[in-house]
Amino acid sequence: MNATAITPDTPGHQDVRENTLAITGWGVVTSLAIGADEFTTAIGEGRSGLREVTGMFDEELPEHEAFAMPDFKVRDHLGRKGTSFFDRSTSLGLLGCTLALDDTDLTVTDDNRDRFGIVLGTTAGSIKATSDYSRETLEGDKPFRVNPVLFPNTVMNCAAGQSAIWLGLKGVNATVAGGRLAGLSALRYARNQIRRGYADALLVGSAEEFSPHTAWFSHRQHSAEEGRVKVGEGSAVFVVENAEAVRAQGRTPDAEVLAVEVGSYGAPGREPDAGAGLADRIGRALRRAAVEPSQVRAVATGESGIARLDDIERRGVDSALGGEVWRVRASEWVGECQSASGSLQLAALLAGHRGHPELDGAVSVVTSVSPDGGVGVAVVRGWHRARGDHRG
Amino acid sequence: MSEAREKHLDELREIVAEVLEVEPEEITETGSFVEEHEADSLRAIEILARIEKKYKIDIPQSELPQMENLKAVYDVVAHQAGWQD
Amino acid sequence: MNRRVVITGLGPVSSIGTGVTAFGQALRAGTSGISAISSFDSSGFPHYMAGEVLDFDPKALLRTLATSEWGRTSLFAAAAARLAVEDAGIDEKVLAGAAAGSSIGTTSGESQVIEALTAEWVHSGLDQITPAYAAQVPASRLAAAVNQELGLTGEAVTLSTACSASNYALGYAYDQIVTGDADYMIAGGADSVCRWAHAGFYRLGALTEKVCSPFDKDRSGILTGEGGAALFLESLESATERGAHIYAEVLGYGLNCDANHMVAPDPVSIAECMRRAHHNAGIAPADVDYICAHGTGTPANDAMEAQAVVEVFGTRPPPISSIKSMLGHTMGAASGFGAIASALAIDEGFLPPTTNYRTPDPELPAIDPVPNESRPAQPKVVQNNGFAFGGNNAITILGRVA
Repeated sequence: MNATAITPDTPGHQDVRENTLAITGWGVVTSLAIGADEFTTAIGEGRSGLREVTGMFDEELPEHEAFAMPDFKVRDHLGRKGTSFFDRSTSLGLLGCTLALDDTDLTVTDDNRDRFGIVLGTTAGSIKATSDYSRETLEGDKPFRVNPVLFPNTVMNCAAGQSAIWLGLKGVNATVAGGRLAGLSALRYARNQIRRGYADALLVGSAEEFSPHTAWFSHRQHSAEEGRVKVGEGSAVFVVENAEAVRAQGRTPDAEVLAVEVGSYGAPGREPDAGAGLADRIGRALRRAAVEPSQVRAVATGESGIARLDDIERRGVDSALGGEVWRVRASEWVGECQSASGSLQLAALLAGHRGHPELDGAVSVVTSVSPDGGVGVAVVRGWHRARGDHRG
Repeated sequence: MSEAREKHLDELREIVAEVLEVEPEEITETGSFVEEHEADSLRAIEILARIEKKYKIDIPQSELPQMENLKAVYDVVAHQAGWQD
Repeated sequence: MNRRVVITGLGPVSSIGTGVTAFGQALRAGTSGISAISSFDSSGFPHYMAGEVLDFDPKALLRTLATSEWGRTSLFAAAAARLAVEDAGIDEKVLAGAAAGSSIGTTSGESQVIEALTAEWVHSGLDQITPAYAAQVPASRLAAAVNQELGLTGEAVTLSTACSASNYALGYAYDQIVTGDADYMIAGGADSVCRWAHAGFYRLGALTEKVCSPFDKDRSGILTGEGGAALFLESLESATERGAHIYAEVLGYGLNCDANHMVAPDPVSIAECMRRAHHNAGIAPADVDYICAHGTGTPANDAMEAQAVVEVFGTRPPPISSIKSMLGHTMGAASGFGAIASALAIDEGFLPPTTNYRTPDPELPAIDPVPNESRPAQPKVVQNNGFAFGGNNAITILGRVA
């Protein structure tokens, strides 16, 4: 398609603008690559993040390979002081936040930290940290001999709270427990905070850790699925701001989030059909974004080889966008990352824009589907980043 | 200093250093946890909890305010555990 | 679009009563919901009391969900939502066909499911865990349960900002209706009593032995609690049109983050959150007639909360009481119960008491905790406080519809 077909002067765009989010930087932590530029390169080369994970934990794992980082230690990136009691989800989320801040031209100062916040998505926080804590009460001579300093790791907002402390961000701080929808739900939560004027800038994204728990939970539920993508971990975090304000400052965003729509339908196989629901939500999101289905260049789906979920997503996308639209399956590079997946799908789209000026202004879609009947869609327009921009 | 006392002090120093995220050598007998190592109440309770776990003793939380440096920790634990170092 | 938002249905599932009538009576009477723990084996713990919903009967309350497919916390959320919708008196089919959704807050999500999986891990190994439990772990299921119970196809979002989560949820739901993104929203929160939280709070020295006595000189901590709290929200226009009973209007809310310490409250930041809430609600401190406190009953929280109140309101602040004295700390549901209590205070004309109050704290001279007995009053504007681990402060402001 012609990437320049949509310009800010397109009729209808004006109405949408005030609700539009600009992404002015982003960070990624995956087994494939750490950092936006590194991720962009790795995606461009079509590399895979699949790693040998045997021996990564004391517990045995159901499979030898995963899209995980056996050697990842947060202290290697952020130092020891203040990080030694972080759970893995917190480490991944925080590192994603710091990388996103490194990637943007917005700096945190005493003038903006009160209106600069964090919105992170999760499945259930660090399931391993929580389960380990619970286990401590069942073993040992007394059930209350648990570690106080690890107690905050059992709450789901630990990653967002610790990131706020680390970065000194005193604005809105939220955690969205969205599971596979978490990335898009966090984006939608952020959109609301900014359009309502509660915040000027937000670090928005989601994180999922790899652990014996997540590996076995997945294995025990889905091992019969033949095409299943192996479990992964990671985070992707975006710096989002009011697009109007960014433009007024003469800054160039990496992307604009034109719309985020979510809905809740029956679980797979139940009514109301989530596939039809997803099609409906995609349609609404495109109307909100003032974009025609034919103008959508690519769709980054959450498909990961679990047939009943992929089926919902495929029917929804086919029905709303037609069967020809280019599918980007980020899970092939980064694995099945649950709550991090939606954010990583968006990161994969932005990676496609980063070094490709010919795609400037092109519109793409991110879709997510959850086993509980949740569906989500985001419509984004991306631009390349000229060498020397931002970090240069 | 008795050998037993030295061994206990080393063990306690190890625990304190890990909780305060510093090297054991940085923990002197009289250096204040709060002033020299940014300890807060959560870290203080963590030190107490780890000591209770290791030595299988119960230390009343009312002792916490006293446990402000390594020597004070040793004194409290020695008393509670009945060490005759 | 900039619509006014009102509360027209209340759904409490609590240790002091289920349904708005029972809950309201218990609040007025200062009933205690505290009992010896039954949901897990508390032997070996020096403290063994909590605020459990002993008579919770999801099968009797729910009409759609197959209760065996859902964890206890999701069932709390769905049951509370069902009660709120019944109380709102809206036609179920109209609701299901409308732009309607839910936002539900929680601290620990399906904590009892995670504990069951942990027990399986300890006893048989992770390779033997029950797949159906694994499927129930995502906390997103709380809001999903609400939508599926009521047949809603709008947004279902679970906000897991710990102990202020219901206020986050209420604020988000309010925005959805203000902007026209939704016409009806169910907001609230749910949590279940669990072993690890009991152990963790005990270990922190924040768990009292038998009685939670907020603002008392001799207060010594929280008791954990559980339940589901739901509020039904719609636009003022919609409520008026269908002749619904309006409990209160949601005037606005404020959020901020301490960015200072994961567990220690920060009075300066809490005061800033109050100012934000007032600003967003378009009110001044002098307009507030009653504060429904976060009031956990720990020495630190109540002292810091009082300090922030004095900073914002001066030395003669409005009465401030803690319903945690009756319910225990219901975690992610706490500010939802606070919002229900606030709406009832406005609608029925009373201030809920802080029970178990014996000795005034000389350090908190400005605090009128509405000691032990509910008080007749006609509050026009109520401030509902919620603070949390992670420094996640959230305050909602409710008012009488003028």
